[in-house]
Amino acid sequence: MNYNLYQPPDLQEPKKTILESLRKLLTIIGGERRNLIISLSAIFVNAVLSLLGPYLVGYTIDTYIQTKQFHGVLVFSSILMGLYIIAFVVNYIQMRMMGGIGQRMLFRLRNSVFDKLQELPLDFFNQNKAGDLISRINNDTDKVNQFFSQSLMQFIGSIFTMAGAAVILLSLNLTLGLAALTPALIVWIFTRLVSPWVKSMNAESLRSTGGLSAEIQESLANFKIIIAFNRRDYFRKRFEKANDDNYNRSVKAGVANNVLMPVYSLAANIGQLIVLALGIYLITKGKFSIGLLVSFISYISNFYNPLRQLAALWASFQIAMAAWDRISRLLSLRSNLLKSDLNGCRESSSYLEFRKVSFTYPNGKEVLHRVNFNLEKGKTYAFVGPTGGGKTTIASLISRLYDATKGNVILDGQDIRTYESQERSRKIGFILQDPFLFTGTVRENLLYGFDDWKNLSDGELEKAIGDAGLETLLARFDQGLDTMVKTTGDGISLGQKQLIAFMRAVLRKPELLILDEATANIDTVTEQLLDTILKQLPESTTRVIIAHRLNTIENADEIFFVNTGKVVRAGSFRDAVDLLMHGKEEGLAQKTG
Amino acid sequence: MKKNTEKSSSGPPKEKGSNPGIFSVLKSYSGRVTALVIMALAGSAVNLLIPKIIAHGIDAFSANRFDFKTVVIEFVAASVAIFVFTLLQNIFQTYTSERVAMDLRTKLSDKISRHSYSYVLKTNPSRLLTNLTSDVDSVKMFVSQAFVIIISSVFVLVGTSVLLITINWKLALAVITIVPVIGGAFYIVFKRVKVLFKKSRENVDVLNKIINESIMGSALIRVLNSQQPESTKFLETNVVSRDIGLSILRLFSTLIPIIMFVANVAVVIILSLGGHYVVAGNMSLGNFAAFNSYLMMLIFPIMMIGFMSNIIAQASASYQRITEVLIASEDNETGTINSKIKGDIQLKDISLSYGEKPVLKNISFKVAAGSKTAIIGPTAAGKSQLLYLLTNLMPPTSGSIEFDGIKADDYTREMFHSQIGFVFQDSVIFNMSLRENIAFSDKVTDESLAKAIETADLTGFIDSLPDKLDTIVSERGTSLSGGQKQRIMLARALAVNPKILLLDDFTSRVDRKTENKILCNLQNNYPGLTLISVTQKISPVKNFEQIILLMEGEVVAAGKHKELIESSTEYVQIYNSQRSTHHYEL
Repeated sequence: MNYNLYQPPDLQEPKKTILESLRKLLTIIGGERRNLIISLSAIFVNAVLSLLGPYLVGYTIDTYIQTKQFHGVLVFSSILMGLYIIAFVVNYIQMRMMGGIGQRMLFRLRNSVFDKLQELPLDFFNQNKAGDLISRINNDTDKVNQFFSQSLMQFIGSIFTMAGAAVILLSLNLTLGLAALTPALIVWIFTRLVSPWVKSMNAESLRSTGGLSAEIQESLANFKIIIAFNRRDYFRKRFEKANDDNYNRSVKAGVANNVLMPVYSLAANIGQLIVLALGIYLITKGKFSIGLLVSFISYISNFYNPLRQLAALWASFQIAMAAWDRISRLLSLRSNLLKSDLNGCRESSSYLEFRKVSFTYPNGKEVLHRVNFNLEKGKTYAFVGPTGGGKTTIASLISRLYDATKGNVILDGQDIRTYESQERSRKIGFILQDPFLFTGTVRENLLYGFDDWKNLSDGELEKAIGDAGLETLLARFDQGLDTMVKTTGDGISLGQKQLIAFMRAVLRKPELLILDEATANIDTVTEQLLDTILKQLPESTTRVIIAHRLNTIENADEIFFVNTGKVVRAGSFRDAVDLLMHGKEEGLAQKTG
Repeated sequence: MKKNTEKSSSGPPKEKGSNPGIFSVLKSYSGRVTALVIMALAGSAVNLLIPKIIAHGIDAFSANRFDFKTVVIEFVAASVAIFVFTLLQNIFQTYTSERVAMDLRTKLSDKISRHSYSYVLKTNPSRLLTNLTSDVDSVKMFVSQAFVIIISSVFVLVGTSVLLITINWKLALAVITIVPVIGGAFYIVFKRVKVLFKKSRENVDVLNKIINESIMGSALIRVLNSQQPESTKFLETNVVSRDIGLSILRLFSTLIPIIMFVANVAVVIILSLGGHYVVAGNMSLGNFAAFNSYLMMLIFPIMMIGFMSNIIAQASASYQRITEVLIASEDNETGTINSKIKGDIQLKDISLSYGEKPVLKNISFKVAAGSKTAIIGPTAAGKSQLLYLLTNLMPPTSGSIEFDGIKADDYTREMFHSQIGFVFQDSVIFNMSLRENIAFSDKVTDESLAKAIETADLTGFIDSLPDKLDTIVSERGTSLSGGQKQRIMLARALAVNPKILLLDDFTSRVDRKTENKILCNLQNNYPGLTLISVTQKISPVKNFEQIILLMEGEVVAAGKHKELIESSTEYVQIYNSQRSTHHYEL
């Protein structure tokens, strides 16, 4: 499946309109309907109040100031004051509600992106760069958030105010109102025309930011190679390229985001001019009063000030939509490793069976070709063979990190695809070739994702570790369970990481334990100790040891040779050695052939 | 407790003294910045004229000496001027801020590329990533928004106040009293918000750490089916983020209505007091209208200064983080010697500690040019660190290492690193073509590339690829097997034609047959190579001139295989652990 986020999607998706993707985005608002209604009403009331203000001022000027009745001025001042107190309260409610919705939405958005990352299979991580993913989760959600928590409220408020101001302008004087609003219409058309361009500029800029992040991430993670080969210039050159690209894209996006503002301002000023000129003309014709003109000018600012704000908001909206596209691209990916509902019962006499299994990488390279083998309960198996032969792929198929391209993997009488992932991972322990530790204590790493023992006290935990025969391994860490380890950095050796990974898997007592060169960097004395620990596992445990060296697999009941995509049964250790000493692999092929 | 240790371990060593303010970032851009300020001020100045023009128009009309043409000309001229100035200002702003950001990033990457490996480790690569991305972005925000807005806001504030005073100073003073009230409200809120913003940033760091680890550990998470705990971990931190966000919101949703209210009170003041003046005949109706317009102009910059002070605070913090990296002392090249290394290596009393923890203790040994040395020992004995010291990736805490009697630092870097090949224990593969991965130095000729590939036994593998050497490998080499990655690492080290080859547990991922073939190739293709190999297995190194047994950072025994088997019980124990099967090995 194509999980590559840089390539265009597999299917030619119909072009989404802004409204459609906005609607999709709004689904994240979810159960906020009540809050949304309250805040929208608050915004509405607020807009009405802020429009009522200038009207009252205009009325007071016309009715009382021009006629020099100070008493009326005072009365209306008091009314205005009361109005503003209500506005204060409504304003507060509006901000609290709307801001809260924004914050909770960011919260949900981040969660859903992160959960999506958890849902996707390993393939996805192989096809995308870590730096770009980080940029999507951090930078892009932040851009969406900036719009929603800061701009959306202004956006809606501005639209309400504008709509209200427009209605009042038109009702005060239709001709003057229409004339005053004409520049806005031109601006609207202009905006419609340039928006796709603005959005695509921002999309380019965000993509380039992701690329920059990926570049930095890769160079910094591999810094020791850069130093050891004295290629500091390499780091600079590659970075310079990404940096230049980022500059060019950002400048273009920046210019695109900034063209609207001056245009909107110009429109606002022209609107005012029209009102002034036409208003005075109308007054001379006796169709308008000077008081109305003063309030008309106020309403015009009430209309064009929000419009000016909208210019800035519109740019931030376009950035948010471009960022949302990048996020929704990620959110639209589906895992290809879902639990299958098919009746998975397969007759199989053994605990695990590979039945005509083939596996092909997304790049088209076939790694396994029609592989068959059976593993019995309680036995120890070894998979040996040259590097690149497909051993790790077999282990990955057993633990369903990938699905076979063709054929079936049958676990305990059931197709592996029909297991709940929880049940499957309980049955199968897999110690990976490259051990991984989370930053934290040894305890946290051992108990990671292992709910059974989560509530054990230190004493109980130590006892459990002792029962598994792991106490001597644990003793190798300065502060035992409380030793701090880090994901990155060389404070802890690869061998020590492998020890923790080993303990982590053994503690869970899986039915099938796979060791993929899991002790390759551990000294041979310790390796013997690990052998003893493995022997102490319950009798029914099936062990699969992947190695390219025979000494680690001396005790295997059965050995399989894996080479060039084929798996060949080689019998017991002694059989295998005899065969290898005399016939080598050709002989083996004949034996099974 | 845990938090403390994390804090002290991350972040570069603090250097006291210079801590330039955020404004110093603009120093080298005085030309652009001046142009920007002029545009912004000009735009704001003309903006102030508009209400004045309207007021004049109304007044003139009331007085029956209204000249339509003049008003229109004035108005259009002002509008066009504003349009041009704002457009220019916005474009200047974009170019300047992006330029500042790019230059800052270039400076940072330049600086980072000059730093030593141990500095990057200590500073923590993920922090440097943040420095180069979010921190630079917040400085960019400062240049593109805050800086100009602050200047033009102050200008508008002063200008409006002056205009108000010239119109009617009594009314003006009454209205201007709202400025300190609003200022005070800002002060109180921002003092509290600053603390919250800092907390919020720290929490985002935690979020990033969780995301990073969930990407790097994606395979393990899927094997253990621990997606749920990962989500929970993320959720918990995200809840904290949301709650901080809501607290910030609570403060702002109190502040902004207060400001609006105060501004509205000013409107009431104008209406009642101004109305009084108009009624009393002390003020014209046009001036009264202008007063109203200017009031809005007065409030806007106040709010802007408030919001921008927040951006400035964030940018200052970010700029300080960037400066910390920029002023940290560099790992300067001091060496001048440019002669070839023969390969005689001598370690004199080397010790190395990580913080309090000693890793290597008083290590001394010699390696003769062209000889083979093996270093063996249990897990975490300090073997890899010893190789790091030998390749000058990090300096020893005490003691010295000499190559042909000359300290490593006295060689030019170019000379030193081109003669030492290092194959790391963990595979480092770049997302580029195999050719670029192997020929990682521009000094590599086609001939030495071919020789390295042949020696590392990669010819067959590369020929099997459709694009041969031009095949692009994915980041972290996820499309390659462990052994393939290891051999690519070897070819990369050999491609520079080194005199000294350091192998860190090279044999761990390569099968025995391949290993023998590679060792044989090495001997034939690179005669006279000095080899130091960290390994777990004794049998391949039995015939080496020297085997050094390292335990808990100390040399326990050193000598030839035959000598050690006689003299060292620890060595015998290791040997016995491998003896049962070694004669079966393929």
